[in-house]
Amino acid sequence: MHFMSKSGWVWRYRIAGILCSGLVLFSLFSWSLVVIGGEIRFAQEVRPIFNKHCISCHGGVKRAGGISFIIRDSLIGKKPQPVIVPGKPEESVLIQRVTSTDPKKRMPPPEHAAALSAEQIEVLRRWISQGALWEPHWALVPPKAPVIPRPKGDQWCRGSLDRLILARLESAGLEPAREASRSEWMRRVSFDLTGLPPSLDDVRGFEADTGVDAHEKVVDRLLASPAFGERWATVWLDMARYADSMGFEKDSARTIWPWRDWVIRAFNQDMPFDQFTIRQLAGDLMANATLEDRIATGFHRNTQNNSEGGTDDEEYRVAAVLDRVNTTFEAWQGLTFKCAQCHAHPYEPIEHKEYFQVLSVFNQTRDWDLREEFPLIKVPQEQAEFGAAARLDLDISKLRRAEFADAQNLGVAGSDNWSGLMPVAASSTHGTRLVHRPDGEIRTEGTVAHYSRFTVELNPPAGDAPLTALRLEVSPIDASKARLTPEMGFVVSFIRLAVVTSNQPIESVEAAKPMTGEVVLSHAFGDEAEPFGDVNAVLSPDKGGWGALPRMIGKRSIVVVPAEPLKVPPGARLVVVIYHDEGPGDFAALVMTRFRLAGSTDPGWSAMVRAEGFKARRKELAELNKERASIQSVEMPVISEVEPQFQRATAMFVRGNWLDKGAEVSPGVPQLYPPPGSTNRLDRLGFARWLVQEDNPLTARVAVNRFWEQLFGVGIVETLENFGSSGEAPSNPELLDHLAVRFQRDLKWDIKKLLKDIVLSATYRQEARATQEKLAKDPRNRLISRGPRTRLTAEMIRDQSLALSGLLSKKMYGRPVMPVQPEGIWRAAYSSEKWVVSPGDDRFRRAIYTYVRRTAGYPSVVAFDSPSRDVCTARRLRTNTPLQALVTLNDPAHLECAKALALRMQKEGGGTAADQIRRGLELATGAKAVGADVDALLSLYGQALDVARKSPEDTLKLDASPEVYAMTIVASTILNLDAVLTR
Amino acid sequence: MHMAGAPSQLELFDYKPELQKLDGQVCPSEFLEGKRFAFITGVPKLLGPAWPFHREKQTGLWISSLLPKFEKHLDKVCMIHTMQTDQFNHAPAQLLVHTGSQNLGAASFGSWVTYGLGTVNENLPGFIVLLSGGTNPDGGKSLWGSGFLPSVYQGVQCRSEGDPVLFLKNPPGVTRELRGEMVDRIRKINQRAYEDLGDPETLTRIAQYEMAYRMQASATDAFDISQEPPDIHALYGTQPGRESFANNCLLARRMVERGVRFIQLFDWGWDTHGTGDDNSVGKGLKRKCDQIDQPVSALLTDLHQRGLLEDTLVVWGGEFGRTPMQENRAGMEMAFKGRDHHPSAFTIWVAGGGIRGGCSYGETDPIGYNPVGEGVPVRDLHATLLHLMGMDHKRLIYPFQGLDQKITGVKPVRVLDKILA
Repeated sequence: MHFMSKSGWVWRYRIAGILCSGLVLFSLFSWSLVVIGGEIRFAQEVRPIFNKHCISCHGGVKRAGGISFIIRDSLIGKKPQPVIVPGKPEESVLIQRVTSTDPKKRMPPPEHAAALSAEQIEVLRRWISQGALWEPHWALVPPKAPVIPRPKGDQWCRGSLDRLILARLESAGLEPAREASRSEWMRRVSFDLTGLPPSLDDVRGFEADTGVDAHEKVVDRLLASPAFGERWATVWLDMARYADSMGFEKDSARTIWPWRDWVIRAFNQDMPFDQFTIRQLAGDLMANATLEDRIATGFHRNTQNNSEGGTDDEEYRVAAVLDRVNTTFEAWQGLTFKCAQCHAHPYEPIEHKEYFQVLSVFNQTRDWDLREEFPLIKVPQEQAEFGAAARLDLDISKLRRAEFADAQNLGVAGSDNWSGLMPVAASSTHGTRLVHRPDGEIRTEGTVAHYSRFTVELNPPAGDAPLTALRLEVSPIDASKARLTPEMGFVVSFIRLAVVTSNQPIESVEAAKPMTGEVVLSHAFGDEAEPFGDVNAVLSPDKGGWGALPRMIGKRSIVVVPAEPLKVPPGARLVVVIYHDEGPGDFAALVMTRFRLAGSTDPGWSAMVRAEGFKARRKELAELNKERASIQSVEMPVISEVEPQFQRATAMFVRGNWLDKGAEVSPGVPQLYPPPGSTNRLDRLGFARWLVQEDNPLTARVAVNRFWEQLFGVGIVETLENFGSSGEAPSNPELLDHLAVRFQRDLKWDIKKLLKDIVLSATYRQEARATQEKLAKDPRNRLISRGPRTRLTAEMIRDQSLALSGLLSKKMYGRPVMPVQPEGIWRAAYSSEKWVVSPGDDRFRRAIYTYVRRTAGYPSVVAFDSPSRDVCTARRLRTNTPLQALVTLNDPAHLECAKALALRMQKEGGGTAADQIRRGLELATGAKAVGADVDALLSLYGQALDVARKSPEDTLKLDASPEVYAMTIVASTILNLDAVLTR
Repeated sequence: MHMAGAPSQLELFDYKPELQKLDGQVCPSEFLEGKRFAFITGVPKLLGPAWPFHREKQTGLWISSLLPKFEKHLDKVCMIHTMQTDQFNHAPAQLLVHTGSQNLGAASFGSWVTYGLGTVNENLPGFIVLLSGGTNPDGGKSLWGSGFLPSVYQGVQCRSEGDPVLFLKNPPGVTRELRGEMVDRIRKINQRAYEDLGDPETLTRIAQYEMAYRMQASATDAFDISQEPPDIHALYGTQPGRESFANNCLLARRMVERGVRFIQLFDWGWDTHGTGDDNSVGKGLKRKCDQIDQPVSALLTDLHQRGLLEDTLVVWGGEFGRTPMQENRAGMEMAFKGRDHHPSAFTIWVAGGGIRGGCSYGETDPIGYNPVGEGVPVRDLHATLLHLMGMDHKRLIYPFQGLDQKITGVKPVRVLDKILA
């Protein structure tokens, strides 16, 4: 027992696990279940009383009287009368109130609940008199390597893992099961590591291998198989809510499969889990980030994009950022952090404000729910070209930044070298009304129509120096509000300048026609270094433009430079025409509502654009862009940080309403955690590093628990998504901590080594046979008193059918494919996208490559609990339904496999139908066929053959001879056997 | 019955003579300040009802000329005029009205009901979904998804064209008899595996295969509307073999008869913005009403004449209402009359099991913009419907992520006593 001091708390931390004989329970709640010498244990005895009887009024959400039984400081330090005075129960208000006979004072109030029992009051009294020591929830204390027990049957054990398992089994009066047959273990480990069944040759080879390292050789081979990455990426894709569509109404296609491929490669290359984490959360911010690192950030671009007409892009940008925070905590921390989005967490010590401190870390990304999904990167189709493409991208970025820096030095934003141009008149097309003020500002009034073209007449700058540049400055209507809740943005598609003498009427603003006195504008300079498009687009009526798309959080500016310095004759005026022809104008008017114009006579502008260096740079940029375009690439959305001048302020949402902004917050991590270590700046990169720093109590535990759940069917903590005090307690806390410490420290986050440890353990090698005793004492195999036996996942079921039939394509990576699917599944609103069955072998690819459309999933995997990928799914709940039977019996894709398997059985099985059936059973299970099973299927074969001979039209429908028809019926039956659908 | 896209309450149920008088006038600023709209921008103009209303004699309820057959059933119907939502885009609003949350991941109302009531016909799915209008609703399959509930409670999308349930039919060439033999061998071999390994899941799997086999027969039968006599087809206006709202109404009755607990019909095409004649509140809305007036009426008639209406709750509505203002998309005048999305007040009607017929609940202001007094948030409707099905919304819970999840959430909720019989 020792004490730790952190954040002003005194924590008592005890490694549980001393078990008194006779008091052992076969419970999930095994985090020490024993009374030790009359000492009250906070976590087991006191906190449950608080949680059940106190926290609905004095908890995280409601803190009546400022008192919370989640937060110790609110009980101890409370003035004038502390709720708890450690060591002095009778002075503690808590005891006074729970024992009070005055109904006005009694807690819990009589109208809410009955009084605490005498036993409960005694627990509280003794706990206070023993010092009122507070223990944090177990999961918030960093794991420590447990003392490894020496169980009686120690010779069974192959390592510490087994000892921890066996100690539990022995204390429950159970013995481990026999070692599984080679074929049983081989099937299990093949699916677990690669998601595919073992080949029969591999099973037979393994059975014949008498070497002591036979198992290890199998494991090494499976871990090295490319199928390993495909299997484990599938698990991670649920966490990442990966889909090939954007979600919501139209649910349009999204190209983000390069990220999926990155995940497969990461698993295959055995990327350590800490690197896997940092790259996905902040690969873009790493020093010398590679193209792969930027692709990795696709993890958090798997959020949904709502491109329904009339949706608020800021609302869904915010929704995406919230989802990133929630997903990060669910996937990496197993915490229900999102509860703190609208109020303090009801059960965990997480303040409302702390949610927003984390939000502010994630709130600085450039994406904005645009249907174009900016920002995008170009990913070469050939991986061999990644290096060349990345070098070009870097060079292009450097050149753009250099030009931006030069223009900034002359003053695109701010600077004194500008004189305001006073408007004389301002008008608009499309019924939009403009007014101008004496200070030069021009505003719209009333309804603003999209496509409005503004014509502004201005007095030229005083003096006779020629005009060298024109600046357009656009402001939000309410700058102080826009900082936190951005205003509707604008897109300027074309800027024109003309000089008119006083009596000339203003001409038409048809884009095609030149204006009298029109001045050629040759260069444009915007206010961001690397905008999504080229700002020079404003110099022509063609596509593209400059602006704040879709929203603005502050002032924006652009400078246009005439080809020649402009001498304005005396008495003449300037006419500026501004077009808003770009942007998704079908629903929102992306039109400036408040702006002003300024002129410069600084010869620096003309000098800059004439300088040889400037011209050479633009030429080089054009060449590099051309060269980059020649590398065949796809564009995928990525996470990228806003430029410093566009940093967002983050404020709390009052009761979760994003339109109602409260206090501003700065980046931070919740107090319940150790603070960030080495990093001095808490940006996304600092946050990602903090997640995997040594003293994070949850990251390793949550990760090893997920691997365990994939191998054993149930996690050590069953609620993979919730390690908090409202989640399930670990079935074997010492085992969880052992694995976590081993993974994080000994194995340095090496996933393959961790899996190898587990699958070679005696625990994993047990046979799955369940005796009556085991079913009675360990019904759900939480103690692992036998080998795991679970239904295959949705993906494994498809992949197995393809593998057994020999149809499976080994092709990896690339665009998602469309295998056979019934008609009429895809019919999303306002979408013309179609399911077109992929040609050739592409329809026989592994399930991970099947196109995932969120609003209409692939039916035969949906039936087997594959989630929609709308949100992070930390755990799939396994079901067993009749609709699943219909899929594997009737889905044409499965039938096609059955027929191919039948042909294979006939080819490989030998001369008689019985031999062929035996072969089929052995291919499908890896085990020796049981005679009774062969007989049962042989009689089915006979019946099917009768049908085929009596009504040949049936066999014709399957395009088969009577024998192939009958064997297809048998093969389909085999593919539906319990032994084949489970591992 | 969910009319995806949001039918206009101002053309159908919520009669506003004052709005007629104000037609073409600029909308007062108090209705615009602090409001967000999907498409309306700046200062729009008010739009009077595009279709005439009259008072139905027996009940005294106002009803538009667009639903002449339905109006004969008003004595069975209660109109809730003051429904409110807080979402003004289709997909999130449909999610809210179906799952209680605008965010994805929550369980649908049908899943909750199935979770609460179980099933009385094990040979059919407990929660069946039928679609018409050629397009899925904007919210997609999450509207009948099970969210955090186990996936056995998700709605099963059935079709009135092709296989009614996906993969229901045997593959071509596989006879029912032979399938019976296959299921028999699966049972035998699985039984042996169970005796060897003792995995209880194996027994469940045996049962599920046998149920699937029975379902193949019973569902095929249930979905075969060609068995219905001519007078029933005439009543509904049905044509077997096609996908239509009418066919789905008739199927709904057949499902009710067979003990399916929750049947949901989605019809697409009610989004009357007025960007074209086809989606105007004039011709476009009439076309949609013509498609549903007869089948909805037929369903009420048919359930009533079979004595099923008294214990079947019929609910009709959309995800929000439509604005009293004419839409002015992107700040421009539109060629056809249309209305934007309106979350502040809209009409949903309920009929049958436990509902007081011939009544209306709640009243909106003279232009139909806001409720007069308290509105009816979606959660109140959910609580009321659950109450009518014998469930207390406070006790219909599912523990997930540390919270006892309820469809009605955490805000105060009331059951609408006044609409109960």
